[in-house]
Amino acid sequence: MAVVGIVIGAAVVLLVIGIVVTYNGLVRLRNQMQNAWSQIDVQLKRRHDLIPNLIETVKGYASHERGTLEAVTNARNMAQGAVGKGVGAQSKAEGALSGALMGLFAVAEAYPDLKANQNFLALQEELTSTENKIAFSRQFYNDSVLGYNNKTQMFPSNILANMFSFSEGEFFEIEVPKEREVPKVSF
Amino acid sequence: MWEQIRGNRTKTMVLVAAMAGVLLGIGYAIGFLFFGSPIGGLFIALIIWGVMTLVAYFKGDNIFLSISRARKIERDDHPRLYNIVEEMKIASGLEYMPAIYIIDDPAMNAFATGRDPKKAAVAVTSGLLQKLNRDELQGVIGHEIAHVKNRDVLLMTMCGVLLGTIVMISYYMTHMMFWSSMSGGRRSSGGGGGPAMIVVLIVGIVLMILAPILARLIYYAISRKREYLADATSAQYTRYPEGLASALEKLAGSTVPLQSANQALAPMYITNPFRKKGKAASDLSSTHPPISERVRILRAMGGASFSDYNSAYNSVHKGGGSVMPATALAGSGLVGIRAASSESAIGEPSKLERSREVSDLMWKKSNYKMINCSCGTKLKVPPNIKKFTIKCPHCGTQHSV
Amino acid sequence: MKCPTCHNMMIVVEHEHVELDYCPDCEGVWFDAGELELLLETMQLQQSILSIDSVLTSQETKSKEKKRKCPICHSKMKKATVGHDPEVLIDACSRGDGLWFDAGEVGQIITQVPSTQDVDSQGRVIRFLGEVFQARD
Repeated sequence: MAVVGIVIGAAVVLLVIGIVVTYNGLVRLRNQMQNAWSQIDVQLKRRHDLIPNLIETVKGYASHERGTLEAVTNARNMAQGAVGKGVGAQSKAEGALSGALMGLFAVAEAYPDLKANQNFLALQEELTSTENKIAFSRQFYNDSVLGYNNKTQMFPSNILANMFSFSEGEFFEIEVPKEREVPKVSF
Repeated sequence: MWEQIRGNRTKTMVLVAAMAGVLLGIGYAIGFLFFGSPIGGLFIALIIWGVMTLVAYFKGDNIFLSISRARKIERDDHPRLYNIVEEMKIASGLEYMPAIYIIDDPAMNAFATGRDPKKAAVAVTSGLLQKLNRDELQGVIGHEIAHVKNRDVLLMTMCGVLLGTIVMISYYMTHMMFWSSMSGGRRSSGGGGGPAMIVVLIVGIVLMILAPILARLIYYAISRKREYLADATSAQYTRYPEGLASALEKLAGSTVPLQSANQALAPMYITNPFRKKGKAASDLSSTHPPISERVRILRAMGGASFSDYNSAYNSVHKGGGSVMPATALAGSGLVGIRAASSESAIGEPSKLERSREVSDLMWKKSNYKMINCSCGTKLKVPPNIKKFTIKCPHCGTQHSV
Repeated sequence: MKCPTCHNMMIVVEHEHVELDYCPDCEGVWFDAGELELLLETMQLQQSILSIDSVLTSQETKSKEKKRKCPICHSKMKKATVGHDPEVLIDACSRGDGLWFDAGEVGQIITQVPSTQDVDSQGRVIRFLGEVFQARD
């Protein structure tokens, strides 16, 4: 009898340890995913902040490119408005902004004085890098979502995930018009 | 997938254990030969190892950086380098921004330090900053951040200490042996020598010769494995293996030797700083795989994931087995390669502009005074000059210092 | 960096993005190998035609002039000649760290006008030095 008791006791202890480890794993993955999301947010905000500066600089050299400048300003305002309205809406607005920026830099190509401006060059480096950082944080976020979703769907961790309502994470895809594959701006 | 890389180091652990075994063996032999107590020898070996490990653990990165004469820079000193490091920090999911150092050296190299990812640092030479474009620099920084993220810095520091201890102990053992045989053998255990004593002596000599060699080979094997993994991780971070490949090619073509290189640091550099020009690194005696091979693997990648790197490795090696941990492969899905940012893109500074960017930064860090003459010539004056006026050699204008 | 001739501190002169080390006391000029490379690369010509080696690894010329020490590696420099008509005797680091022109040599060199048609790497270096040191006494 004592042996059976020990075996059952051991099994229960193992089960409890298993549950704790799995639960903590789920929480850790969810936190990682949420941290990764806040990273994207930081970079998106940085991009929104940089754009008025860029518009001012470009205006000084290419004031009659009003259409392009306005498109960027509008896209920026739309993107700012989409903050907090869910991953889907935000992806779409940010994609439109990336497209508008590409248009602006394509236009800048025709103004040699602008291209030589130190301020413009510094802003360009900042925007290129911010664009890269958005892409990299999105990459890391999506990897985290994949890891987390796998865990919530696979047996046995899915039982716990259902029990404590760990909902699935949503992927963040930026749909840039025309250039889908390339998240980086080529000036 | 990130968890799995960290988790899977079975082969590496076996190799580290083998090195520790060599250390213990040599300690045992020393104790047996000189102190009549093998356990005592074991203790001595362990104590030496322990002290060296503590020093390396707590002071290692400072020592490395000061040996290399690295200077810390901030964001405004070199925004592009700072941004690239930050990009790779984000791509790798590191929690803390690593410190950035520049080494004033025309040679091209880079290394990472920091025992844990919270206190990491990456250092690059000024030569590297001048000669690499943005994509290439990103590949190199990605490789260094991968060393930090994969905990290679800690692993290789610990292995380096282990190796150092083995080399040191066997060195002193040689000297002690020589000395004791000269003084006629004070040892009492053999009771006047005899064949047993000779056997022990031979075993001791063989061990003392073999141990450092064996330890070195194991150490190199571990280091090479981590290099492949760091290359694969860099490709995964940047989604652009060509950047690192082309950077490695430029590094291979560079003829300038690194002046401030350090043996113990060798596995931390992006390429072996002790590589001899024109001599193909033989397989077993190098901390790094041959550069040409690393380039070929990176260029053979069809995607940017670990499994892409693995199949590229296999196609270059013709059935050479796997370099990636199996669990890391299982977790990686389909990962595409991004497009290149073109070299002629506006905003991408030319090599000449990059050179001035870096040299001006180094002058500034050395407290040089910058004088912009109206004729377009720039004069950079050292702080300890014993002159009050300087004449511009181009237009003849007098400038006060 | 210290002047190899009079051992005073040299200043850096940047012209068209290329840096030279210039001694304001004795007016000698150090042309660093890396900067030579940059200068020749801006010509955008084939490396084979415009090789830095043709400037740096010129034949050792026998001379009774005193040997100077390279300001980079501190080993003795060899004597070499550059230019034509007249050939100017300069100091070159035997390790390839760079070239040293003392005041008189710069004076001799900048009076030479290399023909604009077939400028080799030496011609380019001479022309650049002439451009930079327009206001020499």
